[in-house]
Amino acid sequence: MPVSVDYVTRETASNLWRNRLMTIAAVLTVAVSLSLVGAALLLRQGAAKAEVDWQRGTQVTVWMQPAAGTAEVNAVSTELTALSYVQQPCIYRNQHQNYKQAEVLLTPDEFSVLKVSDMPTSYWCTPAQPQDAKEVIARFSGQPGVRNVTAPLAQIHSEEEAITVIQAVFLVVALVLLVSAAVLILNTIRMAIFARRREVSVMKLVGATNWFIRVPFMSEGMIQGLIGSGLAAAAVYGLHVVLNHIGNPDNPGAVFTQMRMTGWEVFATDVVVVLVGVFIGTLGSAIAIRRFLDV
Amino acid sequence: MIRFENVTKTYKGSTVALRDVTLDIDKGEFVFMVGASGSGKTTFIRLLLREELPDQGRILEAGRDIVHLPKWRVPYLRRNIGCVFQDFRLLPNKSVFENVAFALEVIGRPKHVVSTQVPQVLDLVGLSKKRDNLPGELSGGEQQRVAVARAFVNRPLILLADEPTGNLDPATSQGIMQLLDRINRTGTTVVVATHDEILVNWMRRRVVELDHGTVVRDQARGVYGIDAGPGAIEPEPPAQATG
Repeated sequence: MPVSVDYVTRETASNLWRNRLMTIAAVLTVAVSLSLVGAALLLRQGAAKAEVDWQRGTQVTVWMQPAAGTAEVNAVSTELTALSYVQQPCIYRNQHQNYKQAEVLLTPDEFSVLKVSDMPTSYWCTPAQPQDAKEVIARFSGQPGVRNVTAPLAQIHSEEEAITVIQAVFLVVALVLLVSAAVLILNTIRMAIFARRREVSVMKLVGATNWFIRVPFMSEGMIQGLIGSGLAAAAVYGLHVVLNHIGNPDNPGAVFTQMRMTGWEVFATDVVVVLVGVFIGTLGSAIAIRRFLDV
Repeated sequence: MIRFENVTKTYKGSTVALRDVTLDIDKGEFVFMVGASGSGKTTFIRLLLREELPDQGRILEAGRDIVHLPKWRVPYLRRNIGCVFQDFRLLPNKSVFENVAFALEVIGRPKHVVSTQVPQVLDLVGLSKKRDNLPGELSGGEQQRVAVARAFVNRPLILLADEPTGNLDPATSQGIMQLLDRINRTGTTVVVATHDEILVNWMRRRVVELDHGTVVRDQARGVYGIDAGPGAIEPEPPAQATG
């Protein structure tokens, strides 16, 4: 026998209202637990965003021999322009420009022995992906007229490692929180159903099928999960607003600035939080009522 | 209507609740199950409801073996059995009308059937004026009348009552018995497990006595205690149903 929508709606509404203290407890449990899960997911996303920002500035420098001929310099220039994995244009610095930069970087004693003619010319390029820096190094090292090719590979490597660890930590925290949330929510729903076990036994007595009993309870769990996760989604959005507020666009080097996310990215996290809430609420109720149906 | 064939039921700890019980109850009969506490009366009722399964033997209800009934068919079996208990088992948040209507909603009866049958049965139990009251606002006797109404609204073939007057005063108990008697006269088989000696003696219906899980007496028009009068052991044919 199908369970009528009218019956489910009426029973769900009256049960939610009648057991409002338990309903509030379940909703708050879902809200607090999933807020923490959502916050962990948001911070993980932020860390991924910061990694992209940090690595976006990675540059490869092709240093030419001071005595390199025009043909050799042009050959390197042409080849760099043709590379698909290098952002265009590459910046060319002549001997005078590099001499001036050396003045800033070297001590006066070191700089005093330098002449403009000793300085190399150079090409400063930004790879499309930080890991493409290795390709550029391999391609131009040892080419005629090229003295050496440099990139902050060690820095890239350590940044990648640090971000990977941070992301893994946030992921583990999110998963642990998710499991704790699931157990807490399940326990709250179970307590609510335990308080109504007599009602369930009466339903069984008059010949109600398991689905007839189960559906209103699942519907209650779903609504509790939906409201709780809705609150959690609002909390996650609030965290996003706070992080964006702290992250000052005028200070692009600051961690919180690099963790700034778009509204769509936060929306995706919120969708995950709401889906998890609804899923746990519905499934939790179905699991919690199982033992009381075996009469 | 009901047939127990060599039924034995043992609980954990080797407590024998029923021992090799063989019993027939015909359609339209009114039967008292009597005996001391622990004699097996409640187990008898629980077996009929398929709340328990026997260790041995067969139980037939309306010719159907309920022991081997698939689990998913049990709710459908219960729809043909009305139940009344000592503690009423009403839904405290639902009104008298809703409690009775619930038994019909569960089996998917349409609204117009509910709105016709529930007032009829409330009229039968004398609670038409209290249809909107909650169970907590009723006396024990009235609550038991609601339970009887809920058990009967579906016009079941069998009505089981486990100590239905256990919590009621003698006058109210008599009223409940009269109600069960009226239901029995409609052709419903009624089985009452009870300790109430006065009521059993007053009704003079078939009495089956259990002692430590064994049927020790089966007497038509019997009394609570041992009565060696005519009809002992062999039950009389059931009374003719009137409607």
